[in-house]
Amino acid sequence: MADFNLNCKGLQCPGPIVQVFKTAKEAQSGDIINVKVTDRGFIKDIQAWCKKTGNELKELNETETEIQVKIQKK
Amino acid sequence: MIGAVAAGTKTAAKIKRENADAEIVVITKDEHISYAGCGLPYFIGGVIEEEKELVVKTPQEFKQITDIDVYTKLEAMSIHSKEKYVLAMDILEGNVKKYSYDKLVLATGATPFIPQIEGADLQGVHTVRTVNDAINIRSLIDKGAVSKAVVVGGGFIGLEVAENLHGKNIEVSIVEFAHHILPSFDEEIALYAQNYMSDQGVNIYTCEKVISIKGEEGRVKKIITDQREIEADLVIMSVGVKPNTKLAEEIGIELGVTNAIKVNNFMETSIEGIYAVGDCAENVNLITGKPAWYPMGSTANKMGRIAGLSMTGDQKNGLKGVLGTTIVKLFKLNAGKTGLSEREAIKQGFEVETVIVPANDKAHYYPGYRQIITKLIADKNTHKILGAQVVGEGVVDKPIDVIATAITFGAKVEDLENLDLAYAPPFSMAMASTILASNALLNKLAGRMNGINSFELKKRLDELLVVDIRDEASYLIRTIPGAIHIPSEELICRADELKNNEEIVLICKVGKIAYLSYLKLKKLGFQNVRILEGGISSYPYELV
Repeated sequence: MADFNLNCKGLQCPGPIVQVFKTAKEAQSGDIINVKVTDRGFIKDIQAWCKKTGNELKELNETETEIQVKIQKK
Repeated sequence: MIGAVAAGTKTAAKIKRENADAEIVVITKDEHISYAGCGLPYFIGGVIEEEKELVVKTPQEFKQITDIDVYTKLEAMSIHSKEKYVLAMDILEGNVKKYSYDKLVLATGATPFIPQIEGADLQGVHTVRTVNDAINIRSLIDKGAVSKAVVVGGGFIGLEVAENLHGKNIEVSIVEFAHHILPSFDEEIALYAQNYMSDQGVNIYTCEKVISIKGEEGRVKKIITDQREIEADLVIMSVGVKPNTKLAEEIGIELGVTNAIKVNNFMETSIEGIYAVGDCAENVNLITGKPAWYPMGSTANKMGRIAGLSMTGDQKNGLKGVLGTTIVKLFKLNAGKTGLSEREAIKQGFEVETVIVPANDKAHYYPGYRQIITKLIADKNTHKILGAQVVGEGVVDKPIDVIATAITFGAKVEDLENLDLAYAPPFSMAMASTILASNALLNKLAGRMNGINSFELKKRLDELLVVDIRDEASYLIRTIPGAIHIPSEELICRADELKNNEEIVLICKVGKIAYLSYLKLKKLGFQNVRILEGGISSYPYELV
């Protein structure tokens, strides 16, 4: 299983979710995608994306200025 | 002075400052004076920990500072305006006392409206108006007696109490009779706030009427609406307030159309020598010039100062009117409003143009920025600004105050667009949210942009072709029901696909890309294109 690390800090919506979308296409089942983001619209986007695609949102950490998520591809 | 919360104490203090020889007596039936009524929800939630933090001054402190006597637990029974005295009942001693006056100020406030329903008198059914109300509610919570609460009424106090109860790990449900919470706001802004509160875990039931409250052994157990039953061991009644006008009415003081006491710019009632200030008195809406009633602490204090000046002989600068500017914090969301809502403006006979524009409160590259959505309402003919609502997790009080100021001075949208507002990345975007909204509204007024707002789109979803022009990922995550997907970069070469449609609505995230695409389609000869104002990020209805 591989780990993908995406630094999407500074990217505005839809930048981060587009990156995740592309990476998930390359990834294999069970792979982990870690994403760092500054755009807050990403929180709702990633939750909805995981719900729709069935990928698992394993972690979501939020500070005042940064959001970190860990996703596992189904 | 009858009444001693905000307006009463303010009036008394101002008179004393203008005329140190004035003999002033303030009486109140309440136990507390000069308290922060607006802070009560936060005391319930423990955000404000101490009772004494709520009470701005005790009677002793007030006396020490101002040399004014305040008597608590003393209820005014009757006014004798010919002989100029007031009879008041000492609630503790049970005897009647007589107070003579040259001038009388009514600062009798407002009382929560309690619907006449079965069970409204059960234990555990509370209003939130006085310090004792808040103390009683908090002690129930601290005893662990509350696990489920129902708040009846989705106005400011109700919502603030709901947030604070939720913060105490209480399951909270709000029941609102109107179509949405924040009834004074326009639907699309109110629903944005409502969705946000639901996301935080508050149950919200709108368009529902409370029928009765059921209890066991005198204590509340559940609330029955026309739609459902909700278990509750605490019920907060916050369906609104009514002005306390009984004393005034008994002596024939004229009430206004809002049922509050009618006053002029200097707070004088229809009987000479008697003034009314604060929540018991009527206001004038600065935009319409018509009577209105805004029971707000901000307005009450202004009325108090003006009454004090007026009584001591200074009648230079009266209160011409107010805008009903309000603001509320709901969890991390802030919502502010000034002037008329679109609904109110139409009701008042204005031909309106409106716009909704999402923006950020700071530069998008500065850490910690948040989105705020501005709705701007203007008179289509004169371009005068009639009102605004701003909602979002970011700073909303600044734009609302800027717009309130502009309206006060009769600004047109053209004036607002050119304001020189403070800018540096930690404070604002280079084009501040208010300026962006003005630009968009002027585009609409000039016919450069043809928009549709979210509630109109929702109503007409079956008749319109909705084209989502965002990227594939965004479209997949959520879009408007029935929308087709053509990314903006493919729009021109795929324009033929749209040829046979009567009406097309382009949607993007905030409205900007849709506007650019709209201009391109216009150039290709499309006459029937509109854009969704505020984009999908301001669309508060169902997404798929």
